[in-house]
Amino acid sequence: MAVGDRGPKGAKAAPGQLAPLAPGELSAPIVVPNTLWRAANPLAYDGGRPAEITHLREFGLTDAGRRDDARWGALQIVPTRADYILDLIRANSLWPLLSGLACCAFEMMSGATSKFDMDRWGMFPFRASPRQSDVLIVAGTLTTKMSGPLIRLWEQMPEPKWCVALGDCTVSGGRYKRSYSTVQGIDRVMPVDVYIPGCPPRPEGLIYGMLQLGQLVKDQRGHWPEREIGPTVPDKI
Amino acid sequence: MPARPTRPTTRAARAETRGETRPQEPRPPEQHRSEDDPRIMLDRDVGADLYEPIPPYPTRTEREGEFYTRGDGEMFINIGPHHPATHGVLRLVLKLSGEQIVDVDPVLGYLHRGVEKICENSDYYHVIDQVDPLEYVSSLFQEWAAVLSFEKLMDVEVPRRAEYIRVLSGELLRVASHTLYMGFLALDLGGLTPILYSFIERDEIVEMLAALTGARMLFNYFRIGGVNGDLNHEFMSRLGDWMSRAARQTEANAGLLNENEIFVRRARGVGVLDRATALRFGVTGGNLRAAGVPFDIRRAHPYSIYPELDFNVPTRLEGDSLARYLIRVDEVRESIKIIDQCLHNMPDGPVMAKLPRLLRPRPGRAWGACEGPRGMLGVYTISDGSDQPFRFRIHDPSFLNLETVPTLLPGNLLADTMTIVASLDPVLGGIDK
Amino acid sequence: MDRTLKRRLEARLGTQIQGPIRQRHDQTEIRIQPGDVPDVLRTLHDSVDFRFEILADLAGVDTGESMQVVYHLWSETSPDWLRIIVDGISREDPRCPSATFLWTGAEWLEREAYDMFGIVFEGNRDLRRIFMPPDYTSFPLRKDFLLPDDAARSPGEGVRHVERPYAPAVVADDPAAGVRRAPAS
Repeated sequence: MAVGDRGPKGAKAAPGQLAPLAPGELSAPIVVPNTLWRAANPLAYDGGRPAEITHLREFGLTDAGRRDDARWGALQIVPTRADYILDLIRANSLWPLLSGLACCAFEMMSGATSKFDMDRWGMFPFRASPRQSDVLIVAGTLTTKMSGPLIRLWEQMPEPKWCVALGDCTVSGGRYKRSYSTVQGIDRVMPVDVYIPGCPPRPEGLIYGMLQLGQLVKDQRGHWPEREIGPTVPDKI
Repeated sequence: MPARPTRPTTRAARAETRGETRPQEPRPPEQHRSEDDPRIMLDRDVGADLYEPIPPYPTRTEREGEFYTRGDGEMFINIGPHHPATHGVLRLVLKLSGEQIVDVDPVLGYLHRGVEKICENSDYYHVIDQVDPLEYVSSLFQEWAAVLSFEKLMDVEVPRRAEYIRVLSGELLRVASHTLYMGFLALDLGGLTPILYSFIERDEIVEMLAALTGARMLFNYFRIGGVNGDLNHEFMSRLGDWMSRAARQTEANAGLLNENEIFVRRARGVGVLDRATALRFGVTGGNLRAAGVPFDIRRAHPYSIYPELDFNVPTRLEGDSLARYLIRVDEVRESIKIIDQCLHNMPDGPVMAKLPRLLRPRPGRAWGACEGPRGMLGVYTISDGSDQPFRFRIHDPSFLNLETVPTLLPGNLLADTMTIVASLDPVLGGIDK
Repeated sequence: MDRTLKRRLEARLGTQIQGPIRQRHDQTEIRIQPGDVPDVLRTLHDSVDFRFEILADLAGVDTGESMQVVYHLWSETSPDWLRIIVDGISREDPRCPSATFLWTGAEWLEREAYDMFGIVFEGNRDLRRIFMPPDYTSFPLRKDFLLPDDAARSPGEGVRHVERPYAPAVVADDPAAGVRRAPAS
């Protein structure tokens, strides 16, 4: 039963079904009288006059609101959830937190400046404050002393938030695998969405990782809390 | 034409003409002073002397106790370890009286990776690789210091072509590092444009070095007895392109800041490091030369082929942040001169001495030092006859440069913090090892 | 290799130097006792014919039997680097006089030697840990502090979870055990 296809005029509705409506006929609004709430001051809100919704009458007489826009015709699933739009918005403007710890920070900055421009995908503003950022790009070796402040930064970021591990040191400990003071991969202390290996990875690699993150965001379709986070390697290894 | 009588526009105005006015909402009494509000607790009510959040542990040393006792009207402000300044994870605890800084306690160690310990468990080739990420901005100089030390330990002579290539790549990286320094100094003071120009320069130079060494940043190019590979066409063509506009580009980049009145007024006279203080702290490099001491290891204790090259050692006498910045600009010009001479006098020959795969030097000790962009990089190696160094000690210049901060900062305003710290050019990777 | 420097050092500091003065390439090396450190350093720094004003490095060394503190100095009067090895510091209770009375920069270098080896510098006003967190209990660069290996447990690894170098052993054979989901909150 397509939209706009109603039965003949005057037909009665079965219980639980939409009342059939002839094309061009306006349905009368269902008015529930207000018995639940009374304003303290009877003259407030203009004494309770009904709203003068006049502009929708003309809009309802056209079929502009009922026309199926041809743009959506190619998609099998009509996006009706606002979360999908929100995911598109988030994916195209992921604001990173300026969290450069060591050498990889320079490749992150190279990725943000003129030659390899991340601003093309909306990622230019590297926020200094975690409250304003979406992505925590951990660039550089995480040491045990710094892990406290970094986890606090992660917790201060508002949801939805993603974490990108940039460089070998954050992915797995890297060249400092046997060291006494580095954290062997930040997925020991925080959930990671995208791993970008390299020592240091080229800025193109960082951009590829960020685009993968954007794809991940769009794939979620609004289910941010149930996303899959790493490591996908079993713990025994 | 007489004005047409108009109907009042707003609903409230129409109600007024009808005679119905909206009743005024009763205003709450003036009770918004925080002193009177019982829900707000001030520090003095809680008993703030019961807890001191900085530091959370009792103070143990004399200097710590002196720093963490608060005088009248003083407060502690914590900058870092995560902050928008791009030098790395440095934490500065400032004791402020109003806007003026009374004392500073820098807290390091947020990037301590245990490189010296790892190097004690690696053979000599791996040590050169491990030592790269210390001063990641100018990693060839770390390798150079390590390699100088090892070559003295093992009595290895380096072929002349290798020396020329080392100087060439080193000076290129010095230009890149100084250009970045200028960009970061401006960024810390709030100027967002010069950093983009700096990164353009740096990306060009680093792509050149990537064609030569294979990597953009942590090169792992120097070897004991030479370098890892000879020059190639890609490197030479990129170098030629860059050299043809290097001098003019340098002047243009420097002109962004030199003629900027805000920058000059913020940097002139700020953080004056005089000659005696600089020598007492062991400061080396551009910071020492800005204080009036013409100490440059390339001239004072020459290594490699620097005795054959013609370059000046720029020295300034003021010792303030502006002098430190201008010295770096002068050094870029000198480096371009050196690169030019290297290219003209490049000899032929091998690029690496013949060495065995398994290196087992005789037991002994060696110290090698080179002049990096921030100062003297020194490496002290102790060998015990095995294929791993017994002790590998790296002396980083930024460590002592940063130690001057508690002396330079007090007396200045809060906004001068970044001027002074950025003008000293610290790189936390080297400081924290 | 500066022969004149060797002769001048022997003439000036004769009794305080332990063993022969070694010279190799561009370095001259002398060994002294920990008790002589303030005198020797002050002589080298202040006297007109030496003027070793630039402190290049202050390092701690742990040989297996004892600890050493190694100073590297530079002067305009000689083309050599001077290395002063302070030998004979015990490993159980390492103490050494501080050089901060001459060079303020030695303060942080001595803090680093304390942090890495445990060498207590008497006279340093600020001897606390500089790299490791202040509640860390070991001295990492000592020779008995072993780096963790994949097979063996070493006494060097920390108690905290972030200091463990290996992944904690997971008993479950569930193939999805390694894949973590974000906590539903």
